[in-house]
Amino acid sequence: MENLEALMHGFGIALSGNHIFLMLIGVLLGILVGVLPGLGAPNGVSLLLPLTFGMQPVSAIILLSSMYWGALFGGSVTSILFNIPGEPSSVATTFDGYPMARDGRPTTALATAFGSAAFGALAGVVLITLSASWVAQVALAFGPPEYFAVYFLAFASFVGMGGSPPIKTLVSLAIGFALAAVGIDTVSGSVRLTMGIDELVKGISFVVAVMGLFGIGELLIAVEDEFHVKAISSKVEWREVFRTLAGLPRYSWALLRSAAIGCWMGITPGGPTAASFMSYGIAKRLSPRHANFGKGEPEGIIAPETADHAAGTSALLPMLSLGIPGSATAAVMMGGLMIWGLNPGPMLFVEQKDFVWGLIASMYLGNVVAVVLVLLTVPIFAALMRVPFFIIAPVIVIICTVGAYSVSNSYLDVMLMMGFGVLGYLFKKLHYPLAPLVLAIVIGDKAEDAFRQSMLMSRGSLGIFFAKPLVTTLILLGAALLLMPLIWRTISRMMPRSPSTP
Amino acid sequence: MMVSGRSLEAATALITGAFGAAVVVSSLDNGIGWSAAGVESGTFPFIVGLVIAAGSLFNLVQGWLHARAVILGPSELRRLGKLFVPAAVYVGVIPLIGIYPASAFYVFGTLAWHRRGSLLLPALAAIGAALALYLIFELTFQISLPRGALGTIIGF
Repeated sequence: MENLEALMHGFGIALSGNHIFLMLIGVLLGILVGVLPGLGAPNGVSLLLPLTFGMQPVSAIILLSSMYWGALFGGSVTSILFNIPGEPSSVATTFDGYPMARDGRPTTALATAFGSAAFGALAGVVLITLSASWVAQVALAFGPPEYFAVYFLAFASFVGMGGSPPIKTLVSLAIGFALAAVGIDTVSGSVRLTMGIDELVKGISFVVAVMGLFGIGELLIAVEDEFHVKAISSKVEWREVFRTLAGLPRYSWALLRSAAIGCWMGITPGGPTAASFMSYGIAKRLSPRHANFGKGEPEGIIAPETADHAAGTSALLPMLSLGIPGSATAAVMMGGLMIWGLNPGPMLFVEQKDFVWGLIASMYLGNVVAVVLVLLTVPIFAALMRVPFFIIAPVIVIICTVGAYSVSNSYLDVMLMMGFGVLGYLFKKLHYPLAPLVLAIVIGDKAEDAFRQSMLMSRGSLGIFFAKPLVTTLILLGAALLLMPLIWRTISRMMPRSPSTP
Repeated sequence: MMVSGRSLEAATALITGAFGAAVVVSSLDNGIGWSAAGVESGTFPFIVGLVIAAGSLFNLVQGWLHARAVILGPSELRRLGKLFVPAAVYVGVIPLIGIYPASAFYVFGTLAWHRRGSLLLPALAAIGAALALYLIFELTFQISLPRGALGTIIGF
């Protein structure tokens, strides 16, 4: 009840003219970056960051989070109409979305995707509304060992459940930690890992890394396979939209299951991409019509879309209540929070009630705005896809360059950004995940501080992580997740392979 | 020219491994282990560096054994080069001529290269790009962009 009251208060904040306007702008920009290859939600949000410094934090977060919703929707548009995923998390949507659109039902495919996406997002927001303040309350009692244990669990779940090769995930994660350590050490004040370059004392900003890894890297991936944009009619027939939406409840089991998978993957930082793939895989295995998957089966659109948006939304739950972002974009937003002078974590719910509940209320509104806007603008953004790639590419390179430079007016950052671009390309190409790297840059220092403070408390004994039941449970759970890939492999080796694999 | 999956895996593992080794060596300067003031500041990077180096070694071996045959053919490499080389040149000349002329030349160059023929449109787009950068960043958001050595000479 208390939550509902706070939520109503939040609606009071989010429903101002100024904030609705920011929502519209954010969603439109989000769809734009979602549609354009080479620009995605993490980039878009980092690009907007410097422009939010003069704003109220609540206005700034509404702008940024709306952009996130817009990007999630925009990525699905290109997946369905062009078979080109605008975002990594909408790759699984191409499997059935594109075949359905190609076979003459683009409106049905789009409406199915947006309808289930909205359901997934709603599930995520409801989860946040109901449990975020409770989680924050529990977390208020956390000391450094508990925090370190939660960070450990978060990172371990990337390795265990992220879906990428575990050792590659580990390397990506560790590189992020090392990059976070560059510059002045917050505890002792000594300078670390500058490798003789004096300017690196200021550290390496996550914005620079994001611009390179997701911007330049993605561009290099996109240019490699020559795109053949096959134009599918992008006209939206409204009557078909409503008929499809009305028919969605027939798939309520698939919707609920996918939303649950999405929420789980969003909270434990598996991320939207892993969530959509996992949900698609499970739907394919469980559906009675699994032979139809890949040929335009509605459930094959519903499963990844619902999970994608549920994960994207619920990724903000740990960010708000624990200070641990559940996805790369959430990590960037959390970086923004820290720049605005807020301290992400349970204290937000005590000290910044307006901010927290304004944001949560805006998530309900922002997703409604996003569904309506994306339906209205599909033809416009679809036309944008016909602009030749050689025109878009230099524009994106210039945007990333300016974005990296403007973080701290440093040319070194531009060079680093290009380096990250090459690294991002190699990582993408070889299935190293990028999200853990960004996450580790943003919260690496906090994780390290938690560890060092714990060590101070226990005078250097690791025993402190096994002293209390909660800490021990979290650490053991994390260790189990770390070992999960190994366990799976052993099990599948010991089991004789069944002759007929489904 | 072709690039095999094996060599790409190996190159990436060597890059990450070299970074890991550099982190390990560099963190030794800060001291590792336990001191009167708590965990020394080099400890965490030291462990992280070891993880990177060990993981890279594993990836190197794994990539060598299980990589796919060819993942970059000649046409892919050509397309990559066409995007990356101009972009690198663009970034490279910024300290010399500043971001505005560099962006204009960059846009002009890529458009003229692809369109072959009329130079009017690329020229207009180039001026438009530089102008847009100036209007959005310098005027609206008051973020000063690099003017380069050329800017210092002409006093811009």
